[in-house]
Amino acid sequence: MTPRTTRIVGFVAFAAFVVFVAVLPTFIGDFKAREYSYVGIYLIALLGLNILTGYTGQISLGHGAFMAIGGYTTAILMAGNEQFGGPIPSGMKDVWTLPIAGLVAGLVGLAFGIPALRLSGLYLALATFAIAVAMPSTAKRFEEFTGGGSGIQLFGTPELTGSISNVEIFGLSFSPNDWMYYLAWSIALVAFAVAWLILRGRTGRAFRAVRDSETAAVSSGVSLARYKTLAFGISAAYAGVAGGLFAIASAFVNPDAFPVALSIYLLVGIVVGGLGGLSGLVFGAIFIAFLPLWAQGQDLGSLLPDRIIQETQKPGGPAMVYGIVLILLMFVIPNGVGGLFRRIGQLISSRRYSRAK
Amino acid sequence: MRRRSALIAALATALCAMPVALAGSGADPGVSPTTILIGGTSPLTGPAASYATVARGAQAYFDSINAKGGVAKRTIEYRIVDDAYNPAQTVQAIRRLVEQDNVFAVFNTLGTEANLAIRDYLNQVKVPQLFVASGATTWGRDAAQYPWTIGFQPSYAAEGFVYGQYIAKTQKKAKVGVLFQNDDYGKDLLASLKSGLARSGSKVVAAEPYQVTSPDVGSQIGKLKASGANVLAIFATPTFAIQAFVFANRLGWRPLVINNAVSATSNTMSLASEGGKNKSIEGTISTTPLKDPLDPRWKNDPGMKQYRAILAKYAKGANPNDANHLYGMAVAHETVALLKRLGASPTRVGLMAKARSITGAGNPFLLPGISVKTGKGDNFPLQQGQLQRWTKGRWVPFGGLWVSKRN
Amino acid sequence: MIVAAFSDFMQQVVSGLASGGIYALLALALVIIHRSTGVINFAQGEMATLSAYIAWTLTVNHGLSYWPAFVACLAISFGGGVGIHRVVIRPVERGSVLRIVIVTIGLLVAINGFVIWQWGGEPQQLRSPFGTDTYDVGGVIVAAHDIGTIAVALGIVLLLWLLFRFTKVGLALRAAAVNPDEARLVGVRVTWMLALGWGLAATLGAVAGMLTAPTVGLDPQMMQAVLIYAFAAAILGGIDSPIGAVVGGLLLGVLLNMLSYLSQYDAFGWFTEELRLPAALLIILVVLLVKPTGIFGKPEVKRV
Repeated sequence: MTPRTTRIVGFVAFAAFVVFVAVLPTFIGDFKAREYSYVGIYLIALLGLNILTGYTGQISLGHGAFMAIGGYTTAILMAGNEQFGGPIPSGMKDVWTLPIAGLVAGLVGLAFGIPALRLSGLYLALATFAIAVAMPSTAKRFEEFTGGGSGIQLFGTPELTGSISNVEIFGLSFSPNDWMYYLAWSIALVAFAVAWLILRGRTGRAFRAVRDSETAAVSSGVSLARYKTLAFGISAAYAGVAGGLFAIASAFVNPDAFPVALSIYLLVGIVVGGLGGLSGLVFGAIFIAFLPLWAQGQDLGSLLPDRIIQETQKPGGPAMVYGIVLILLMFVIPNGVGGLFRRIGQLISSRRYSRAK
Repeated sequence: MRRRSALIAALATALCAMPVALAGSGADPGVSPTTILIGGTSPLTGPAASYATVARGAQAYFDSINAKGGVAKRTIEYRIVDDAYNPAQTVQAIRRLVEQDNVFAVFNTLGTEANLAIRDYLNQVKVPQLFVASGATTWGRDAAQYPWTIGFQPSYAAEGFVYGQYIAKTQKKAKVGVLFQNDDYGKDLLASLKSGLARSGSKVVAAEPYQVTSPDVGSQIGKLKASGANVLAIFATPTFAIQAFVFANRLGWRPLVINNAVSATSNTMSLASEGGKNKSIEGTISTTPLKDPLDPRWKNDPGMKQYRAILAKYAKGANPNDANHLYGMAVAHETVALLKRLGASPTRVGLMAKARSITGAGNPFLLPGISVKTGKGDNFPLQQGQLQRWTKGRWVPFGGLWVSKRN
Repeated sequence: MIVAAFSDFMQQVVSGLASGGIYALLALALVIIHRSTGVINFAQGEMATLSAYIAWTLTVNHGLSYWPAFVACLAISFGGGVGIHRVVIRPVERGSVLRIVIVTIGLLVAINGFVIWQWGGEPQQLRSPFGTDTYDVGGVIVAAHDIGTIAVALGIVLLLWLLFRFTKVGLALRAAAVNPDEARLVGVRVTWMLALGWGLAATLGAVAGMLTAPTVGLDPQMMQAVLIYAFAAAILGGIDSPIGAVVGGLLLGVLLNMLSYLSQYDAFGWFTEELRLPAALLIILVVLLVKPTGIFGKPEVKRV
């Protein structure tokens, strides 16, 4: 296929996906729409993380912390922190906090990206892991700002759109769950398009050059410092927006809502989705959103024997299943779902190519 | 080329989607002619997994009732969802239970923060948040604002106050050092201990917090000893309470120890006694509303026999000495009693009305004389406890039952 | 008064050393696995917890007395470590760093789940091989167990030094990690060397678990908190240096207790208990940025 046809196929597929996302709630019912809104939220975070890890080659085990920064930004702007003795009044509508959540997290990401320049591979993984671990304790320490361990309640506040009653907008009426779904997915689709635009241009080429060989990138005039920090900033901004949406969807934030496990799940998500690709990430997001449920036998009642389901519902059972599935996935699809598709695609097109010959 | 996979992604997403179960008509959600469905979250994994046995005990009790035909010809189905002690996951799981599984009531969800995260939602959609597994005061105190929420166990505030009063009455000018978990639970106990001590000659001279992420509390115990305290109050979960005894003993410190109910099971105490070598543990004071599984007094007690029989039959492999099972059964017992009073056509409104008018028919898993009561102006189901002293390897009760006058 | 204050201060130092000894033992396991396989093992803490549970179950349920159980547990752990390498790590060894990271995280989650599933979440007690004796040294109390723990850590350092310095196996281990292809050319059985590295680390982890449990209580989460501090200790001392791990661990334990002790004075009032963990992690960041090889590490030469 020529680049031109590739691009056309891409546009058509994306358009089809947009239509699919738009009509999906009609078929899956109200509550499932809420659960799929989390898929959209995780997708945003994964897009960001993949720009950093998949395209620029920097491992982050700390993206849950950037989500926390976004989540807290959103929650504090909505509910204020005057009730804990902080300086910020309540009153910003949920949707308008999201750009700020992205901006704040992005700035923190940029700031972290500068020291991260000196680290690579496992050391960067460790350093970012440290950030993820430190996040909950730090949020507890600054109680007057974050509400400490009890957190911030958003449900029922006037700033939260659609706590319980339908949302009327553009002459349409959405149930609270549908509203959450469309909010999350419209932002996710825009985020997807933006990521694609960033990655196909100059910046994307520079990112990939940095990943493939730093030495070669430098010798061909790419500024390592500039692109590595930039990737960190963009990536953290994505996580911040996702964190803000996460706070809105949960209508509650506290330090335990952003555990180390969240950072780990995100990394798992991009590996399952496929490093260095975008569309596979949808699967990564589905994986993160649903595996914790599947690991305890939810929704699988008819697929697995009762005996196994019972065992997975014992204390410790879900974790055991989750861990084993993770390991098996690394064996079975080392390049993620995206990599699997690419291989299938290559097989098909190479066959076609040889036939044309 | 890459974009093509988006289509496949879309198809797979559609396949993953499952149709929503339709709610039955007529009766309240969760009630069918043969079953009644309740649900709640429990930390099956993660840092608080040791509390998952509460839900297991409750589950076993419901199973035993079901084996006898259930309540009003309905079997009780109790659906437990793991939330890994993460309130964001609690929110998702509870909404799933309410909106997809259509539970009749949310039952005994564990953790203060987890319950705070779902309280506003459940009160908005008018689904009972029954017998919350947390000792925060807010469940009873704010009943007017949250009519669909009710707690169960004695509040931490009531418990701390009792310790304060005990010290005030029995000690002259005691200097109290407190080890507390740095969250709402620990802080509630600390604050109420102080108010129990008020206007007596005794006071808190040092209070050292610990984080659940700390490996050990050795440094804290050292500082408390250095403060010159002669009473040590341990407001900590079992692992850290055991450490506190071990470290106090190592430092040769022999204060009067107050140990909170959460960590006062014989199981925990006998671990802390290091096979009898720990000299700081003798004479420790605590309180409990529950019978103690290891206490020889209850060897032939019908309630405890029932407890052990149910656990052996319906929770195979469960450790009967883990008193969380017993707590779970005590809550399940009260729930069954409520459902019985609801009769043939249970409603959510009726459930809450009955839960706010419990007359205390007795509970075989609680100490004799202790009953679960609620009524007008009283929204705290359990408000009594028994003071007890650790003497030669077992708890010895003393001083009659206390009743909390303040919550 | 001053004397009392000094002994309180020294008590905090001693208590810091005791915590540090625990960090040091697990840090040693982390160092060994990094040194002999180049991997940072996120599951190291959980492997140690599992070993401690095995020791406990051998003594409690199978009636072994302490030392036979101790030895049996070391042997089982060594076998387990080798097994984990053969079954779980080897298939991903040649892939990207990321896959290994995720596989070790998968192990962490799975082993933690298994321990809870098998033995329940409530705490248990594992006894100390050094007993519960304490010594009063000028008003400062020192526990036999803590002295024993630090002595064991130093003993392990010595053994490892002998192993890497004077034995062929030690050299082969090192070669297999640093340059597997060249090592293979000179006849080193690289795969078995890597498996041996995992076995050694698991054995050290078992020692760490069995000596940690008597202090902090045997419970499924006991090593999760320790792991983070052990990472900090290993980085501080130098991720390839056994003696660095021990010095780093002890230093970290004392340093954190000092900050906590000083917080009674206004100048350090900002340091609250919540900051204990972030402070340890800040140490990781600062060391990685300022001197990535740690106190005892040798600088690495980067080749193009």
